[in-house]
Amino acid sequence: MSTRDLVLAALFTAIIVVLGLIPPVPLAFLPVPITAQSMGVMLAGCIIGATRGALAYVLLVVLVAVGLPVLSGGRGGLAVLMGPTAGYIFGWIVGTFVTGLLAQRLVSESQPALRQMAGFLIAGVVGGIVVVYAIGMPWLSFITGTPFDKVVTGSVVFLPGDILKAVIASLAARAVMVGYPLLPQRA
Amino acid sequence: MLNSLHIEGASWLHRMGTGWKLFALFVISLALTLIDNLPVLAGALFASLIVARSIGMKERMLWQRTKPVLLTIAFLALVNMVLLSPRDGLVILLRLPAILFFASAVTASTSLSAFIDCLTRAAMPLEKMGLLRAADLGLALGLVLRFVPEIHERYRALRDAHQARGIPVKLHRLLGPLIISTLKDADSIADAIDARGIRGQKSRH
Repeated sequence: MSTRDLVLAALFTAIIVVLGLIPPVPLAFLPVPITAQSMGVMLAGCIIGATRGALAYVLLVVLVAVGLPVLSGGRGGLAVLMGPTAGYIFGWIVGTFVTGLLAQRLVSESQPALRQMAGFLIAGVVGGIVVVYAIGMPWLSFITGTPFDKVVTGSVVFLPGDILKAVIASLAARAVMVGYPLLPQRA
Repeated sequence: MLNSLHIEGASWLHRMGTGWKLFALFVISLALTLIDNLPVLAGALFASLIVARSIGMKERMLWQRTKPVLLTIAFLALVNMVLLSPRDGLVILLRLPAILFFASAVTASTSLSAFIDCLTRAAMPLEKMGLLRAADLGLALGLVLRFVPEIHERYRALRDAHQARGIPVKLHRLLGPLIISTLKDADSIADAIDARGIRGQKSRH
């Protein structure tokens, strides 16, 4: 891994931390407010790709583990990594990697804008929603003993917000692709 | 801006080695996950509060630090009480906060540098396998902490610029410029690191 790749991953971790400092935006049609930080998985995968993106999230999890309150709402410390929602946090690493892999496959610089945005959207939905939930929900069910099907039903309230995040992330990823393309230069 | 959750002190837990603390936390958490006996779990919760007190964390502070997770646990306990049985709800209401408080005590009694030393040592076998450079971890974490205040300042400048022009502040308008302006610094930062030889001789690739 070159120094530049290491620096890009660390800068993206810092961006994810800053997104956690922005106050959550309540939306009229959604039951849960949107935190900008939870968009990070999709953004990291689509903008710096699979390897560097996953590394950015490994760094974030290490920062949480060593006791820094880097998660939205000032959460941090080992307690968060041992709680019932820890599966989602570890799922971010895998989710970013999958988002990055898909984005690298689906999107290239020569494509028309709409095609690029569609590619980023698919990558974000699969990596940032499907993969993260596929790891977070079984963990939650295992730790709390709540039946898995009930956990799935309960998670549906977050789905509209997550899809909206995937749309915003694909817009931002496309803007970066135009202004400062990093995805094509693989780590 | 990012104050560590570490609390300075010289208690028995502060003096214990970081690796041992993490190992003990792992064993206790695993044991509590397997135990299903209510009095034992209640005892563990009581013990976790004693441990937290012994390093100078009062209940109020524990509550402040674990509030979001505790509320999630309370909600899930309620769900379990309704769907399964009152006992199933009570089990996680005793077990999960106990694990949480033990974990908080480890976090509070361990300094940032002790944690990073421990992680770097743990990464040494991986370095021998040629997978990564253990010293890169400290370097990368240092970079993150160095740039968080700067990026936050950049975010505020972008937000103010939008407001000054009467454009509603929307996240999707700010993300692009924020990310591009931040990542554009990567080259000069990487050059500065390599010029100082911080990562050793063969640092380019």
